[in-house]
Amino acid sequence: MIRIALLVAGKDLRIERRSRVLLWQVLPFAVMALVLCGLALGPNHAGRSSAGPGLFYLVMLLVTLLMINRSQVIEGARGTRTSVATLGLDPAGVFLGKALALAVELWLTGVVVLAGAVLLLHTALVGSAEALPSVLVILAALAAAGTLYGALSGGGQGPATLLPVLSFPAFAPLLIAGERSYSDALHGGALWQWWVISLVALVAYVAIGILLYGVLEES
Amino acid sequence: MIIKLSQRLLGPVTLVSLALTLWLGLWVTPPDKVQGNLVRLLYVHPGIAWVALYVSFGTSVIASCLYLWKRTRSVVMDRVAHCAMEVSAIFLALTLVTGSIWGRPTWGVWWAWDARLTSTAILLVFALGYLALRRANDDPELCARRSAVFAIIAAINVPIDHFSVDWWHTLHQGATVFNEDGNFLVHGSMLWTLFLSLFAFTMLFFWLLRERYRLEVRRDAAYAATLDEALDQRRREGVH
Amino acid sequence: MSDAEGSLDLSPVAAPPTKRRGKWRSIGVLVVLALAVLALLSQGLLHSLNYFETIDQAMNSRAKLGTQTFRLEGIVKPHTIQRTSKGASFWITGGDKKVFVSATGSPPQLFQANIPVVVEGHFTSETSDKFVATQILVKHTASYIAAHPKRVKAPNGSVR
Repeated sequence: MIRIALLVAGKDLRIERRSRVLLWQVLPFAVMALVLCGLALGPNHAGRSSAGPGLFYLVMLLVTLLMINRSQVIEGARGTRTSVATLGLDPAGVFLGKALALAVELWLTGVVVLAGAVLLLHTALVGSAEALPSVLVILAALAAAGTLYGALSGGGQGPATLLPVLSFPAFAPLLIAGERSYSDALHGGALWQWWVISLVALVAYVAIGILLYGVLEES
Repeated sequence: MIIKLSQRLLGPVTLVSLALTLWLGLWVTPPDKVQGNLVRLLYVHPGIAWVALYVSFGTSVIASCLYLWKRTRSVVMDRVAHCAMEVSAIFLALTLVTGSIWGRPTWGVWWAWDARLTSTAILLVFALGYLALRRANDDPELCARRSAVFAIIAAINVPIDHFSVDWWHTLHQGATVFNEDGNFLVHGSMLWTLFLSLFAFTMLFFWLLRERYRLEVRRDAAYAATLDEALDQRRREGVH
Repeated sequence: MSDAEGSLDLSPVAAPPTKRRGKWRSIGVLVVLALAVLALLSQGLLHSLNYFETIDQAMNSRAKLGTQTFRLEGIVKPHTIQRTSKGASFWITGGDKKVFVSATGSPPQLFQANIPVVVEGHFTSETSDKFVATQILVKHTASYIAAHPKRVKAPNGSVR
């Protein structure tokens, strides 16, 4: 399972490196979304660090939706699904691989958006740096949940509006945990509890994905 | 014979128990010491919530599990899961509406983002997501499988919703009947009227489920007939 | 038939054994999942999802709370309610501690002595026990008791 996961993750990341969708489309979108948040709040409120954590995770949620769709569309390329089925690859390994690749992409984007939040929304640099570990864990949980919901919503072939409708209720607890942990990091709260909560969420979604991804992909 | 009898009696029993609940709730039972006549929502809101969270959602999840298990996989299980989730969505919406109506004069607000209300709202969104998923796919088997998986994942929220009033400080009250001490915190005629309302709304759920299931069977038959007709027409065109 | 075709072995071959991944891995994953959730709940780590702080909790974390806005819960102390032109002032108790609340805006319908309330606002300073509230919410309990259970019935049997 791990070997297949690393193979699939490597495949997805190589495709990403060649197509450069993350670099030329997703990152600019994320930065633009952050700018729009600031514009929407107005100059008096945009600089308050209390808004920063929530807006950071809102932008990352939008980025996650884009990346989930991209991750599933890759599987929809002609012959890919048939090849995977014919080769008899362990679906749990495929799930882990796709989730890992998505997590790496979200981490890269997350670091850029975090820097953007410091610059544009004036969240404290030290607090943001302290929040980084919990941010990475939450983004990994988003990746695991997103991979599962991406397959549920039809693998990029269903209507585009289906993915948000299905996934938002599942993402909501992750957003709450993420926002609280980032706020605590900015205002000096106890971070270790958020570590545990985020790790439990990650373990839960990975476990559910391992159990159920195969059922979604079997034909 | 027992099944036929119970099917025949389901409608009348539902009607009678709902009417009895209405009469007892509005006229016979006394007002509450603190809430006064606002307490009469006790015979509506908990019954609807009980059906929404446990009876209806539970039926859908169990049917989904049975559908995914190869030994019990059948179109009947898929239909039951779908129909039960539709009823659950309606009852979840009614739970939030009746809760708001009760909350405004008692708490002082229509809505609060406490754990119980938030998790119920999330459950409603899950139910609506399930219904959206069902409409998004033409392949019946694929649709059934994905919906079943989605329902099972969504079910994780039910124990969170149930225990939310115990695990966290919430504005929503704790359990009146199924609390950890095992005491009933409702007294006299209010208690058995509450139990009657739980029974009445449960019967209403089964009645709605039955009718919705029958509609689904007719809908599938009509679709199959339309398909047969279209195929016949194509064949006739081929002959000429 | 050529020599090349005659040398081909076309007899049926048994399929290679497929790996039975499903059962034990599923059980293992479910066990890990259950342990993770239990670990979370047993530590009470989600107390940040509380809708309000009790008076005890608020007093214990006064330094952290400072004058920031939060929700405080307590029971309204009898004979302390004073209605003002802007709202009401009263004392709330929790455990052996009490807090003075000065609230703006009209209280809800059920607001009265001995009822649990949740007030949203902030302490006036880091050391005072005076709480300035912008909203009062009544948190009614889960118990329901008939009003006047020993009410005398009218000759026609009604109790209204």
